[in-house]
Amino acid sequence: MKGILKLAASAIVLMATQASAEDLRVAVYTSSEPHLKLLNQLADKFKASHPDVNVRFETIPVADYTQKLSFQVAGGKAPDVAWMMEDAAPAFIEANILMDLTPVLQAFPDYDLADFTDPAMALWRKGDQVYGVPFSTSPFLIYYNKAMFDKAGLEDPKQLAEKGEWTMAKFQDVSKKLVAANPGKYAFEFKDGEGYASRMTHALLPPIRAYGGDLWEDGKCGMDSPAAVKAVQQIHDMVFKDKTIVPPGTQGDYFSGNSAMTVNQISRASKMAEAGFEWGVAPLPTGPNGEEGPVIGQAGFVVFDASPNKELAAELVAQMTDKEGVAALAQFFPPARRSVLSSDAFLNKNQYLSPQMMGFVADGIEKGRVVAAHEKVPQILAAMKPRVDALWRPDADVAKSLQGVCAAIQPLL
Amino acid sequence: MTNSLSHRSGAQARAPWLTLQRRDAIEGWLFVSPTLLGFLIFFLGPLIAIFIYAMSDWNFLSGEATFVGLANFEDALLANPDFWLVLRNSAVFALGLVPLNVALALFLAVALSRPFRGVIVFRTIFFAPVITSAIAWAIVWKFLLQGEGGPINQMLAMIGITGPNWLREPNWAMAAVIVTRVIKMVGLNMILYIAALQAIPRDYDEAAGLEGASRWQIFRLITWPLLGPTTLVIVILTTIGSFKVFDHIYQMTGGGPENGTLVLAFYIYQQGFQFFDIGYASALAIIMFVIVTILTLIQVSLRRKDDA
Repeated sequence: MKGILKLAASAIVLMATQASAEDLRVAVYTSSEPHLKLLNQLADKFKASHPDVNVRFETIPVADYTQKLSFQVAGGKAPDVAWMMEDAAPAFIEANILMDLTPVLQAFPDYDLADFTDPAMALWRKGDQVYGVPFSTSPFLIYYNKAMFDKAGLEDPKQLAEKGEWTMAKFQDVSKKLVAANPGKYAFEFKDGEGYASRMTHALLPPIRAYGGDLWEDGKCGMDSPAAVKAVQQIHDMVFKDKTIVPPGTQGDYFSGNSAMTVNQISRASKMAEAGFEWGVAPLPTGPNGEEGPVIGQAGFVVFDASPNKELAAELVAQMTDKEGVAALAQFFPPARRSVLSSDAFLNKNQYLSPQMMGFVADGIEKGRVVAAHEKVPQILAAMKPRVDALWRPDADVAKSLQGVCAAIQPLL
Repeated sequence: MTNSLSHRSGAQARAPWLTLQRRDAIEGWLFVSPTLLGFLIFFLGPLIAIFIYAMSDWNFLSGEATFVGLANFEDALLANPDFWLVLRNSAVFALGLVPLNVALALFLAVALSRPFRGVIVFRTIFFAPVITSAIAWAIVWKFLLQGEGGPINQMLAMIGITGPNWLREPNWAMAAVIVTRVIKMVGLNMILYIAALQAIPRDYDEAAGLEGASRWQIFRLITWPLLGPTTLVIVILTTIGSFKVFDHIYQMTGGGPENGTLVLAFYIYQQGFQFFDIGYASALAIIMFVIVTILTLIQVSLRRKDDA
């Protein structure tokens, strides 16, 4: 009997302690083991100062991340903290469901909010309020398969970039030679092989910016501008005339050695470790007048206003994005803090990328502009999709197709 | 025996309200309550909710909702040109899929209804796609149907045919999703037909054969009419299924190219779960419900006319 009472008593104590411990749920879209290990290390640091707090990272697959997150919000089950992609941020900020982090960040010891670069913060600020802290400000880079360049006897993009010859024209020229020397393979694959579907804007944006244009700017569609038409015409020719870019409806995975180049960010470097071929990264090719048009993808930490522990959650975000936190995350997620960007640790001690490659990354962050964002991105993409499909026909009139794209999305901008 | 009798009468004296009839009723309700609760919570509840959603403009993220009456329906039927395109696509999909599926199912069932060596193996082969994951099915077909270097186009090239870029040309994409869907689902209807064929007494065939009827005559004049009720069920179910097709489209074409395979269920998903316009999506779902109901009623009444 005594034994039973004891057991019951200890059970009650256990339940009481469980109830007093705070659970912080952090939604992320990575399932990469090294990424999660790093995040848990940062959370452990937070737990050291908050022993009764549990931090749990919940992976939502990236393909429908924003959508599932939105459902959690609508269902009243929003996580406390979440990663948020640049294209989703405006809609969430406009819906007034994110917490203003300014007071917590300013009160956090040695945080130094001004250390974040202004372009990197633009997306997350509304007036004086800060609704998110970017942890990844990641420029698009060219990844290349060194062996395929060697086989064609070509200088690789990194060498060309060093000589200042890595231009859009050279990109086209090199691509033809690559395909000639590597039959059955392609010279270039769009980002993650999704350039004709979910990443259609990521396929179009780098060349358009290199030629001095943009997808849209200040509420005006820019895809029918002369610069954009020239850029897309070149890519279109490469797909259908030169046959050097993986065409629509065909798979040509860079990571399994079927394409010589692709565009991606440094978080993918962890995937290259298992690729089984010699590889490198280089900046995006420059435009006809030598303009650099780097493109930056961004993601930030946000805290949901509805969280019962939002103060605590904001503190966790502050801890993960203070100077030490950002320096640790910089292994995979390029920082937006000036102090970390110029640090020796960031530039010289990356596990996967050489100091020179990291130089390209830092350069890209400094000069780059975040990919075009908008409150209505899902609607814009859906309106664009059929027009962009029409653009990717072999016999398409590029200028006319791009006018069609602009006509479809202008009302939404 | 006496014991139990006296026990029962004693219980009745103490608790007269618990008559046998009541006890049966309580037990009955207890037995059906799990299903009933499930039905109320997961079926009737959402069904009612969807009518309420359809009459509101609901910002999913901020949680703000306003009553807008029938505006969502007006928007779909009168203002939005996409809606009619989507409806047309759904109709094309159904008109392509239903006859093909039913004809193929009947053909397979006739071939596989009589026992012969290996019949089980063949039935299993044709039924296996039904239980295969829809996503895996679509991914494999996407690979097979690649424009350049896809296995199907390579095979066509061997006999001198240049295959199209199946999933990137609107008309071919529609044909490709229809055919791959038929191959996936035909096994189910085949099983229904096999069951119906086996229920037809063989005496009829034999008698007709003795009277000198050809096999085609036996099929056309005896088997086919006797399969009528099964055909009706199959056509109704397949039509409903074809209007509800989503996963297949989502994975294979994403509604593209050029909206060529944007069908109703996928469009509802897009409005509701990508644009978070739950009110509009609910209105569309109700419209879809009405369309499917009307089609079903037409089929049933046609069948009645046939019988009469």
